Amino acid sequence: MGIDRRTFLKCLGTGVALAAPGCFSLPGKLEAAGVAANKEFMGVLVDTTRCVGCRSCELACAEAHNLPVPDVGDASAFEKVRDTSEKQWTLVNRYKTEKGEIFAKKQCMHCNQPGCVAACPVKAMEKREEGPVTWDTNCMGCRYCMVSCPFDIPKFEHHSAAPKLQKCNLCWERLQKGEKPACVEACPAEALTFGARRNLIEEANRRIYKNSGEYASHIYGEHEAGGTGYLYLSSVPFEQIGFRTDLGTTAYPEYTKGFLYSVPVILLLWPAFLSGVSAITKRKDKVRSEEGGKR
Amino acid sequence: MDGFTYVDIFATKGIEYLLVISGLLFFAYFWRFLSRPAVAVYREYANVFPAISDWFHLPLEGMYFHQGHSWAKPEGDNVVRVGIDDFAQKLVGKIDAIKLPQVGSQVSQGEKAWSLQVGSKSIDMLSPVDGKILDINESLLNSPESIGKDPYGQSWLMKVQAPRVSANLKNLLSGGLARKWMEEVREKLLARMNYNLGAVSQDGGVPVDGIAKNIDRERWDEIVREFLLVS
Amino acid sequence: MNRTTTAVQISSLKDFLVFMRSELKPKGKILTPFNVITGSVILLGAVLILYRFFMGLGSVVHSSSEYPWGIWIGFIVMVGVAFAGGAYVTAFIVYVLRGEKYHSIVRMAVLNGFLAYVFYAGAILLDLGRWWNIANPLIGNRFGVNSVLFLVAWHFLLYMLAQLVEISPAFAEWLGLKKARKFLASLTLGAVIAGVTLSTLHQSGLGALFLMAKWKIHPLWYTEFIPLLFFVSSIYAGLSVVIFIGTVSFRVFEKDRIDEEYRRSWDDIIIDLGNACAITMFVYFFLQILVLVHGKHWSLLNTGMGYWYLTELIGLLLIPGFLFSWGVKSGNPAPIRIAAVLTMIGVIINRVDYSIIAYKWYLPLSERYIPSWMEVVITLAIVFTMVWVFIWIVNRVPILKKPPQWAIEQEQEEESVERAVALGLQLGLTMADGGSSIDKEKK
Repeated sequence: MGIDRRTFLKCLGTGVALAAPGCFSLPGKLEAAGVAANKEFMGVLVDTTRCVGCRSCELACAEAHNLPVPDVGDASAFEKVRDTSEKQWTLVNRYKTEKGEIFAKKQCMHCNQPGCVAACPVKAMEKREEGPVTWDTNCMGCRYCMVSCPFDIPKFEHHSAAPKLQKCNLCWERLQKGEKPACVEACPAEALTFGARRNLIEEANRRIYKNSGEYASHIYGEHEAGGTGYLYLSSVPFEQIGFRTDLGTTAYPEYTKGFLYSVPVILLLWPAFLSGVSAITKRKDKVRSEEGGKR
Repeated sequence: MDGFTYVDIFATKGIEYLLVISGLLFFAYFWRFLSRPAVAVYREYANVFPAISDWFHLPLEGMYFHQGHSWAKPEGDNVVRVGIDDFAQKLVGKIDAIKLPQVGSQVSQGEKAWSLQVGSKSIDMLSPVDGKILDINESLLNSPESIGKDPYGQSWLMKVQAPRVSANLKNLLSGGLARKWMEEVREKLLARMNYNLGAVSQDGGVPVDGIAKNIDRERWDEIVREFLLVS
Repeated sequence: MNRTTTAVQISSLKDFLVFMRSELKPKGKILTPFNVITGSVILLGAVLILYRFFMGLGSVVHSSSEYPWGIWIGFIVMVGVAFAGGAYVTAFIVYVLRGEKYHSIVRMAVLNGFLAYVFYAGAILLDLGRWWNIANPLIGNRFGVNSVLFLVAWHFLLYMLAQLVEISPAFAEWLGLKKARKFLASLTLGAVIAGVTLSTLHQSGLGALFLMAKWKIHPLWYTEFIPLLFFVSSIYAGLSVVIFIGTVSFRVFEKDRIDEEYRRSWDDIIIDLGNACAITMFVYFFLQILVLVHGKHWSLLNTGMGYWYLTELIGLLLIPGFLFSWGVKSGNPAPIRIAAVLTMIGVIINRVDYSIIAYKWYLPLSERYIPSWMEVVITLAIVFTMVWVFIWIVNRVPILKKPPQWAIEQEQEEESVERAVALGLQLGLTMADGGSSIDKEKK
């Protein structure tokens, strides 16, 4: 059977139309868009060997973000290991270790590729170019970020009728004004160092080399969960000061990558497959009823 | 260095989803596009031939049908007008002559009453009523092919004086029953046609030739007799 | 009382209002024990829901920062969606594979699925802390395209629409809207194809939600294959629910709500459904074993959580699987009904495991999540409301009885037109190329 010219052109047109979007979305440009232009993430290096447990950072944080002011003079707070809460973005815990008491600050780790950001269906959680992971009010309150955070940091105001999600934002509003995070500024013992993440890693390595034996030779946060903005140094293995050391080096969004990438594929393949099956069963069905009619 | 710049592994997700959605729309269009040329042929075909469903159309007002594809239309005073339905004439194709009984002779319901001459073959048909023939349609005898033009009006076959008209009509189909019966006829025909299309000739004049000949060129008359209940 | 819906003919708004007023009246006795109990739970639940909206989530719910998701997500949404899987499976069998034999149950399954989605989407609204923002991922107050939940939200919405289209001819029949029915029925196949695709994606998507909760879920449950496991288990979960609802429906509804022929074919259908369940569970069991071996976690089997895992795997997967097979082989629906109930329990436990029981299994019991009585009441209220709506609809709309005569005629007409067109195509093609194409096709 011959195909007339018009039909041929129509076929051709459809083919081109199908191919066109592919042409316009060639890689290269898009790859580049995924990388924030030449900006380095800022972060904080926490040297737990220097922390004296004064809790000035807790105070500064509460003041900077209008949170309830903690009673930092109350030493009984150290009696048990506390967790950050919707009322307290950062806190210092005391751990009894083989090398005596060690204080460790806890707050959002500001992952390089945060699980909470990948989890958020409305991009209320965002990784900013400066490095902080911030929360915005277009949040639905689904709390999927809480499920997906490897460090269990986001906290939800369960008891409010208009609840917010509370977590450290690395003082993003201060960063934009060129200021340091409040906790870093408040630290009297220079346990906290603010800077570009790359420089912080260099500094941390320098301290480990220079004072061999004083530090466990690991920078927590360099590779954990794909790397974090907060980096920790410790004199003892990190399990002893309340850190999870089983997180692996994979960035958390990678865990959903397989699924998310199969979605467009299934969306394209399934309807085509099902239409095909339907067309075949339809033909069979017809033949069967005709056989029935013939009988 | 690794890990210092933000690599959003889902940077292209949004575009991908848009692509997939447009892909799906294209797919729906493409699927229909591929099945359309055939439809176009059908449309062309539909221009040449009357729509198939017309073959089975029945005027139901005041009409009674016999399952042998003749009709009866009571006109008062026990007089009944009799003819053949559209389907019958389409089934047999071009009619060369119609052999009607003499005026004054008797016909009875379900018995052979008249016959159609098609080529060398003669097809009998059954009378829908009992009675004495009052009149026959002379003009049809002269131009038998015109029966297809107005099978339910101008092209009536004969008028019958039917003394038992009301009893006769009870044996015939009308209204919804007639429509149902025609549905069955259609189903029966469609089922047969699909299986015998391999034998359809190249001349393309399907309905002019009559449906039956297109089903089976050699034994078409058997098919006709089967439908007209005279086999 | 015995009025059938076939007689309905609505030509004006006034007719419609009169009709609706008569239909809104309850049919049958009001003060049955079932109605009284469920009704009071629903009332109490409604009060608690208001309380939740004014006083905040924490006033009603026991969830904490350790357990972001309680039973509203872990039970209502996770289990509800798996249970609604019967809708896409039966729709696939009937409309795509054209298993005409199962036509009698497809409306029941789709209605159940549709209501499940409507009510469970409602449960999400309750659970969302900032519920007034619920439309944000849909209206683009930032599209979180990188989120599994974003996809699930969209699939939810789209699948609800697809199900609405699938079930809509029944409602058009109820209201006597002939033209609308014709149009809506013509959309069915498209809606089913879209529905099956969307279901595949969001049944597995619900599992994918847990992929980033890596260390929070017990290693016997956490695997990168969660999405696949969720998808496969939704097939037998959904079919078990169809078996359950069908069995109950064909017993409790009054005779005039049910087509006698449908009821008689039910025992036959139940065995086929049991067959499908047995096969799917067989496959699922091996998937589970495969995942277990792949994860190298067998040493964990000999722990407390390991025993729980084995209970789920053997007691609530293998045993009902055997019961299904036994029922199929002996042609006896009784073990199939028992197996369906066991399977449903198994699926409930499986889904609740992921969000609650195996989630942070290492915490001491005092820090574990245990739902508050208010959460439970609201959960029950939602389920009961759904049952009420289901009953209300089955009592009026042709779900378990045959469509009215005109609808059947419409269907047949559609079919014969289709066949006439097909015939025309063949005749036409013969004409165009001299009769050879048909020959080819026949060979």
